[in-house]
Amino acid sequence: MRKTRVTAVAAGAALALALSACGSGGNDDGDGGSTSTPAFNAAVGHVYNPSDTKGGTLKMANDSDWDSLDGGDMYYGYAWNFSRLYLRSLVTFKSAPGKEANELVPDLAESLGESSSDAKTWTYKLRKGLKYEDGTPITSKDVKYAVARSLDKDILVNGPTYFSDFLDLQGYAGPYKDKDLTMANFKAVDTPDDQTIVFHLKKPFAGFDYLAMLPATAPVPPEKDTGTKYKEHVVASGPYMFKTNELGKSFTLVRNEYYDAKTDPDTGRKALPDEIDVDLNVNQADIDKRLLANDLDVAVSALGVTAETRAQVVNDPNLKQYADSSPQPRTWFTAMNADVAPFDNEHCRKAVMYAADKEGYLRAYGGKNGGEIATNMMPTMIPGFREIDLYEAKSKPNGDLDKAKDELKQCGKPDGFSTNISYRAERDAEKATAEALQQSLDKIGIKTELKPYPQSDYGKLYAGNVDYSKNNGLGLKIYGWGADWNDGFGFLSQIVDSRVIRPAGNTNFGVKDPKIDQMLDDALSELDESKRNKIWGDIDEQLMKDAYYLPGVWASTLFYRPERLTNVFISDAYNTYDYTTLGVQK
Amino acid sequence: MTPPLETTESTAEVPPEVTLAGASRKAIEGRSLSQIAWLRLKRDKVAIAGGIVVIFLILVAILAPLIVKLIGHPPNEFHYDQVDPDTSLPYGSWGGISWDFPFGVEPINGRDLFSRTVYGAQVSLLIAFLATLLSVIIGVVMGVIAGYFGGWVDAVISRLMDIFLAFPILLFALALVGAMPNEVAGLNGYWLRVSIIVFVIGFFNWPYIGRIVRGQTLSLREREFVDAARSLGARSPYILAKELLPNLVAPILVYSTLLIPTNILFEAALSFLGVGVPPPTASWGGMLYQATKWYTVDPEFMFPSGLAIFVTVLAFNLFGDGLRDALDPRGRR
Amino acid sequence: MVVYIVRRLIAAVLLLFVVTAITFLIFFGVPKLGGATPDDLASRYVGKTASGQQIHETAERLGFTDPLYEQYGRFIKGIFVGAEYDTGVNKDHCPAPCLGYSFITRNPVLPDLLDRLPVTLSLASGAAVLWVLGGVATGVVSALKRGSFFDRASMSVALAGVSLPIFFTGLLSLSIFSYALGWTPPGGTNPVEQDNPFDWAAALILPWITLALLYAAQYARLTRAGMLETMEEDFIRTARAKGLRERTVVVKHGLRSALTPILTIFGLDLGLLLGGAILTETTYSLPGIGQYAVLAITNQDLPKVLGVTLVGAFFIIMANLVVDLLYAVVDPRVRTA
Repeated sequence: MRKTRVTAVAAGAALALALSACGSGGNDDGDGGSTSTPAFNAAVGHVYNPSDTKGGTLKMANDSDWDSLDGGDMYYGYAWNFSRLYLRSLVTFKSAPGKEANELVPDLAESLGESSSDAKTWTYKLRKGLKYEDGTPITSKDVKYAVARSLDKDILVNGPTYFSDFLDLQGYAGPYKDKDLTMANFKAVDTPDDQTIVFHLKKPFAGFDYLAMLPATAPVPPEKDTGTKYKEHVVASGPYMFKTNELGKSFTLVRNEYYDAKTDPDTGRKALPDEIDVDLNVNQADIDKRLLANDLDVAVSALGVTAETRAQVVNDPNLKQYADSSPQPRTWFTAMNADVAPFDNEHCRKAVMYAADKEGYLRAYGGKNGGEIATNMMPTMIPGFREIDLYEAKSKPNGDLDKAKDELKQCGKPDGFSTNISYRAERDAEKATAEALQQSLDKIGIKTELKPYPQSDYGKLYAGNVDYSKNNGLGLKIYGWGADWNDGFGFLSQIVDSRVIRPAGNTNFGVKDPKIDQMLDDALSELDESKRNKIWGDIDEQLMKDAYYLPGVWASTLFYRPERLTNVFISDAYNTYDYTTLGVQK
Repeated sequence: MTPPLETTESTAEVPPEVTLAGASRKAIEGRSLSQIAWLRLKRDKVAIAGGIVVIFLILVAILAPLIVKLIGHPPNEFHYDQVDPDTSLPYGSWGGISWDFPFGVEPINGRDLFSRTVYGAQVSLLIAFLATLLSVIIGVVMGVIAGYFGGWVDAVISRLMDIFLAFPILLFALALVGAMPNEVAGLNGYWLRVSIIVFVIGFFNWPYIGRIVRGQTLSLREREFVDAARSLGARSPYILAKELLPNLVAPILVYSTLLIPTNILFEAALSFLGVGVPPPTASWGGMLYQATKWYTVDPEFMFPSGLAIFVTVLAFNLFGDGLRDALDPRGRR
Repeated sequence: MVVYIVRRLIAAVLLLFVVTAITFLIFFGVPKLGGATPDDLASRYVGKTASGQQIHETAERLGFTDPLYEQYGRFIKGIFVGAEYDTGVNKDHCPAPCLGYSFITRNPVLPDLLDRLPVTLSLASGAAVLWVLGGVATGVVSALKRGSFFDRASMSVALAGVSLPIFFTGLLSLSIFSYALGWTPPGGTNPVEQDNPFDWAAALILPWITLALLYAAQYARLTRAGMLETMEEDFIRTARAKGLRERTVVVKHGLRSALTPILTIFGLDLGLLLGGAILTETTYSLPGIGQYAVLAITNQDLPKVLGVTLVGAFFIIMANLVVDLLYAVVDPRVRTA
């Protein structure tokens, strides 16, 4: 067996970004430096206000609510980030500033996975001395159980489906359907002893460590599993445990007595505060105001400050020194639905690609503080990125109306047509984008109506529901996507692979190109990293040629870091502050 | 003792000429009642001021397209040159006010706040008027039937009124908008949303007017002139139409005028909760909600919509109050 | 008298049933109007990878395929004896009175409502005290000093209070008093979880004032009009002629009469407010029933919406009942109606 160390070291682009971000004030070392002088972007690439002082209460607030606190039932980056406070998975991203954060390091496991030569069998050995919050030991069977239960998407509806896609399940559907807590039928995962766990995949996957990173691998004691109710008290394996959990209102974490920092040498967790309070469903405006008033420490959902607060912060040097603008592997884009005429004709799609006002798109997200105009889909920091500008996004940021009209003629609609634009109602930036698109498309005769939908059901019932989209003429769907992990597969797979399209709950809003599917498969089986990275770029190019997605903005998000936070840095893996290292000043 | 709200629209003192049945009596009474009211109204300067503003606003709402064509820019048109791309704030002080943009511009997209406020008048007043109309129609019909026929008809309708009054309106409006499918009866988008809002406000508010009308009808029914009319052979519908309705005009008028500002605020509340008219259509409620978020960096954004709502509601209230006082026979102010 | 009370009680209960039926019909029937099938309704509650077959099974498990009157019957039965819901993993028991079960959060609705009730109660009662005291006092003084500067000024302020949307005044006052000046705690502070009554009041003072402003106007005007009318009545003249002190005349005789209509309206207003002061709670992020309703609607969680509507209707009907009964106590003529 060959050890395969999979690291996703960001290529030149990310390194350059990290270095340039360190420019203003404080330490000028590359990444890994630290500073205590407040300055704009002080926490990008460095640790701001480093400290080892324990104690205090960290106060967080969420403008909405978690889908679920259950590790097997979550799909937001912030939720994954936060879960490491109370859960430990097999491996995790390193808690360090700069590009180091994209390295996977062992958490529960002693080391990263050992792979068979065909990359279809992966073995992990758990450390010794791991305990839950009540002192009971953690065994490999608990990890197996955690993965097993996460397979059942009827009970745990929100998480990603990577395990179902890769494990050789042979029909096993999880313990809720199988009703066997010994999981005798779950042959895809073996636990030869209490410390060892072996995964059998149905197709080779060199990046399996990324799946071992998922919170779904955080151990769950089978006797304590209450299915859909487990989220009300998740049993902790991490440094903190739940003290109270008032659904929809707030919850509190306190120290887990049985977490032993000696069993956690690699991740970089600090576990400084004694208590963490999280308020739910607080107005975004209130959250921002409380951050600025130093009454709140973290806006946990990591959406960044609102447009209004951004205007305030950017204009005031006294506030700007507490802000960080973090480029992310995330693209805001608009999908065109080939199920809705006339978007089945690629020239009509190209008309939109030419006509759309890219500057307007960027303005909707806050100008240069919101990111930069995207010429293609893949964000700049993903290895394999190359700039592909087929529709003059850079040279004609307000659109090329003549070429657009030309494409309209070619698709047989010289006078334009009508369609609908959908977006997530709670997201002001998406509303602004929809309005901007409406205005720019109107110039070539494409008349649009705006249709907002609730964010929580956007994927399941509306834009991500194939029948609904077809029946309601959703030709343009505004969306955004951030990489599940920082490589081409982590970004592209869930949005361009036609084989992941289901009746509902889609994240791929309509890309159906067999060439792209083939290239994805090629990339997965390509073991040479640089060749693999080139394929991601090729997929991006094909995507642009197909014109299914109108890229809008390569996102940067503006975060605010209140004065009393210590040990703050942006994690390149989660693209917001790393929640496991934060502390508070007394 | 009945609540004062309901006594102030009682009919005028009936002069001795009342024993004369038919058109001549009505002519005398009609002249004296409305003429007295008009005179009293004219003397109430505050109410007149309110009335003038009301008329002005209605004109603005009707003539909105013309006004905007002459003075402003199209309400949904973006003006990036007016807004800083990185802070999203309007250039210049006072929220971007200039000769070209008398009320300033909206952050992020630079839309002309003057034309949006003018068009917003259309939306807000349209919804308020239509909803009030719906309430009045249903309320009058139900109230008259209940009051005139009495007995079990009255009992059923009164219970119906209780039922409607028991529904929490705002909650219902919210939930209904959410549960509504995308297309109903051939309507969709903007007009569907407007219809739902009008329907909910109008449909659930009718008991307020219904009760008043029922009370009026009940008391009028016992009046001698109705008996007199009947004794001359007049049939029930004739009595209803000729005798009752003119006397109901006063309370209906007053209540409508007072219901309209409530409905304007209701639409604003729905916009605040995210279920007002769909974007990009401008509505005062929606604009105000957006503007309150920008208060710290662009306070001027709040003024056009905030003042518009305030002035409109105030004007209708003042005028309605004045109308009520003018129609109150005891001449109190 | 007893007969009257009993009759009103029965009427109130019947009313509640009718309201629940209509609400149920609307929330579960309207989607059908738009062409939604039981499977469409069920698709909300299944996982992303569910097959058509699984969706259909879920629809049956949750009872969406049964005719509406059956679903309604089960709902009513649940209110009396509780209900069992199959979550797919186990059976969840919803104890009586079961006001509904949310399939999204997999929890019965009533405990959530009871949990949030104290916040709404605190908000409503505090504001009520303010607006009744403030409104009535202002109205009395205005009536007595009719035409004076105080009269005109207070009536104008009252009118202004009614003419501004509450989210506007609320957000502005938060900006000024909480964030700029720091006098009051920020939005989102849960008053019921504070350690002492002082903090409880501090978290509620801004919502109380903004809410009270809205109602105080109406009450001031009503009291003023009522007082003006009452003070002209014969019995007031008699009281004065008897040589009673002016204050006794005003308060004991005049005010008492003028108050009866105020009472009616107060009962109705309070009832409405207890059902969830949606706008105020949303503006100040107070975790009460109103905020719960808005969240439920945003998440399209129909059982929760149904539960809140019922609680709201319950309070309104109860308030009506209490007011009617009080009226009967005060005015014997009413009992024979």
